[in-house]
Amino acid sequence: MNKKDLILIGAVLLAALLGFLFFNTDKDKGSTVVITLDGNQYGTYPISTDKTITVKSENGINTVVIKSGEVYMQDADCPDKYCVDKGHISKVNDTIICLPHKLVVEIKDTDNQPPEVDEVVK
Amino acid sequence: MKKVLLFIMAFSVLLFTGCSENYGENTSETTSQQSEELSDATRDFFAMDTYMNLTAYGKNADEAVDQAQKRVEELDKLLSTGEKNSEVSLLNKNRKAKLSEETFSLTEQSLYFYKLTDKAFDPAIYPIMKLWGFTDHNYKVPDTNSIKSTLKYIDASKISIDKKTSTVILDGEGMEVDFGGIAKGYTSSQIIEIFKSCGIKSGKVNLGGNVHLLGKKQDGSDWSIGIQNPNSTDDFLGILKASDTAVITSGGYERNFEENGTVYHHIIDPSTGYPANNGLTSVTIISQNGTLADALSTSLFVMGTEKAQDFWKNSKEDFEIILYTDDDKVIISKGIADKFTTSFDLTVIDKVN
Repeated sequence: MNKKDLILIGAVLLAALLGFLFFNTDKDKGSTVVITLDGNQYGTYPISTDKTITVKSENGINTVVIKSGEVYMQDADCPDKYCVDKGHISKVNDTIICLPHKLVVEIKDTDNQPPEVDEVVK
Repeated sequence: MKKVLLFIMAFSVLLFTGCSENYGENTSETTSQQSEELSDATRDFFAMDTYMNLTAYGKNADEAVDQAQKRVEELDKLLSTGEKNSEVSLLNKNRKAKLSEETFSLTEQSLYFYKLTDKAFDPAIYPIMKLWGFTDHNYKVPDTNSIKSTLKYIDASKISIDKKTSTVILDGEGMEVDFGGIAKGYTSSQIIEIFKSCGIKSGKVNLGGNVHLLGKKQDGSDWSIGIQNPNSTDDFLGILKASDTAVITSGGYERNFEENGTVYHHIIDPSTGYPANNGLTSVTIISQNGTLADALSTSLFVMGTEKAQDFWKNSKEDFEIILYTDDDKVIISKGIADKFTTSFDLTVIDKVN
């Protein structure tokens, strides 16, 4: 094994690593936005469709915005505004949590679930 | 060389067991599963105007599907409106008949759902279905006068039953009944009972798109049930994880015809005599009671988006719903919220306290 061989091996490994990282990040983009209020599912929305969701509860009001494949908390009447400060999220398992309002916005990936089913109802 | 071969063989065995482990926790479980799989039985046949598929897993599976198929054929003979001498046909012809236990029970249940749904489910709908040609595929849009004159026959309150003599009377001229709205749900429930009596723990029944599940899958996990997207056969409205339940969908996309650019479907609103058009594209009901699931899938479709939700919210019956609205929204009840995945715009509703 000479020096050139080592360089080649190194280059192949590097390419594989880059490829892995690249594809991995790409895959991590989520497809669905799930909003949970006080532990109960409030609704799910496709991340691909721009939409503004106003969540009103006895705890307060949150305005969640889905835009250009990203999600952010536009406004909230909670005291700390941490949820608004969180900024934009778009990756699987990313969350925006508004603790005072017990509201969780989470990104899930339903597209990557195998569409294989045991039966079809029609 | 021999050593190399041995090594390759040993390695391929390892690979093989590695694959099988997807199905079971360990090898002993895999073995028992394989022996169970040997006695699986599945049966496909046509009955009640649809294609039916019955599958039972485990010991006695063959006998279970055999008995179930016989039962379906018996029920078909009793309930078919297309067969001249079926009990239902004779009842419609003579407007009075002494009925078998099954047909009598279906009449009783139909009347129960008629009251439960405030007339959205009506077993006396048959004359209007005939008028539209949905009974013989001879589709036509009736003129308003004939709809008006036929509507007066659609009145299940004029059906009287006598349990002692097992007799049913249709107390109005021109009246005719059809149990098509609950027959398949009733039948799938019966099949599940037969499976159980044969000792089957896991099985599935698909009666032309009406699915009924017994137990869980053999690997102990829930079944994955794809709910068809009425607007596209390529993808699903969503996927439901379910076990031990019936899953039944009604929608205008199942049977319809087009005339002068308008699509007319087969779910007729008994109050208007026209295809129900109240904001819903499809309604899926999930319930252990197949008859209830069948009846409610049709009647909630007739009720429409708002009333269907209110009905579920206020109902004491044990069932869950998936509503798909004409404007592409999916509304589900809370009981299945963590079992249903969809990429559609989803809303979860809860009971009224």
